[in-house]
Amino acid sequence: MAHQAHAYHMVDPSPWPLTGAIAALLMTSGLAIWFHFHSTMLMTLGLVLTLLTMYQWWRDIIREGTFQGHHTPPVQKGLRYGMILFITSEVFFFLGFFWAFYHSSLAPTPELGGCWPPTGIIPLDPFEVPLLNTAVLLASGVTVTWAHHSIMEGERKQTIQSLALTILLGFYFTALQAMEYYEAPFTIADGVYGSTFFVATGFHGLHVIIGSTFLAVCLLRQIQYHFTSEHHFGFEAAAWYWHFVDVVWLFLYVSIYWWGS
Amino acid sequence: MKLWLFQSVPRLASRAFNTTVRQMKNKVPDRQKVFLEDNGLPVHIKGGSTDALLYRLTMTITIAGTGFSCYWLLVACMPKSKA
Repeated sequence: MAHQAHAYHMVDPSPWPLTGAIAALLMTSGLAIWFHFHSTMLMTLGLVLTLLTMYQWWRDIIREGTFQGHHTPPVQKGLRYGMILFITSEVFFFLGFFWAFYHSSLAPTPELGGCWPPTGIIPLDPFEVPLLNTAVLLASGVTVTWAHHSIMEGERKQTIQSLALTILLGFYFTALQAMEYYEAPFTIADGVYGSTFFVATGFHGLHVIIGSTFLAVCLLRQIQYHFTSEHHFGFEAAAWYWHFVDVVWLFLYVSIYWWGS
Repeated sequence: MKLWLFQSVPRLASRAFNTTVRQMKNKVPDRQKVFLEDNGLPVHIKGGSTDALLYRLTMTITIAGTGFSCYWLLVACMPKSKA
């Protein structure tokens, strides 16, 4: 068996980058075909292929790290850089939607009544469910930090409990937000207010779901003894992502819900 | 009423996972043995026959999807016949 004389990870050839690229092709072209020819087959194939690719690619990373020992300190450093750069790109993604919101709300046009919220829009009370949502996400930030300290201290049961609580708080936020969406007196079609509100909060909600899923995978891995008190980067990456989701909500709450009402 | 229901969710959902957690054995050393075996298999196939099945399913969808994508591209390129 050949042994490497360096600490870096030379990955085995993998089909997942190709299948992932094709999945992106199928989803985008599928969207166009759905719009013009009313057939959802291509888009559905794309979605299924995306899920299969994500499952197998990340499964392989877990195998390479936890079972094959490839995630040495230099490799882990690279993974840390990668996650930080990815979250930074997501920050820029949200920055765009905040730009759009402030562009329209700082100088409301005569068509809107020259005011913000625009004439006819009944905004949500920021001190009702949105405030509860803020408390829920802040609490989940505390519980995920509790989980981290529990992992570092080798407290298995506490880690599982605090991580599970974090995920439940994430689900609670999503449920509350879904209810708010259903009960809201305005829709996405209600001018620029509706567009900025639902696109910004909608993408945030999607990120809460992604973050909750990431944390749930970490919970399963923790139960299966994958993490050690010194080496648990998958969990750290999930926790970073979760804090990012929390911070985006705080900006949304202050800008759109509170100042914007 | 609805607000009360949602506020009671955290209280209702606070059951511990104790039974599952207590019975769980650490299978990581066994998995390490499987994936460190010197059989020349790439990591995406190394886990067993389920791996190969899932890979074949994924690749089938990839190739079929590419084919369908090309078909629809040709359809989209064709001028609409005046009936």
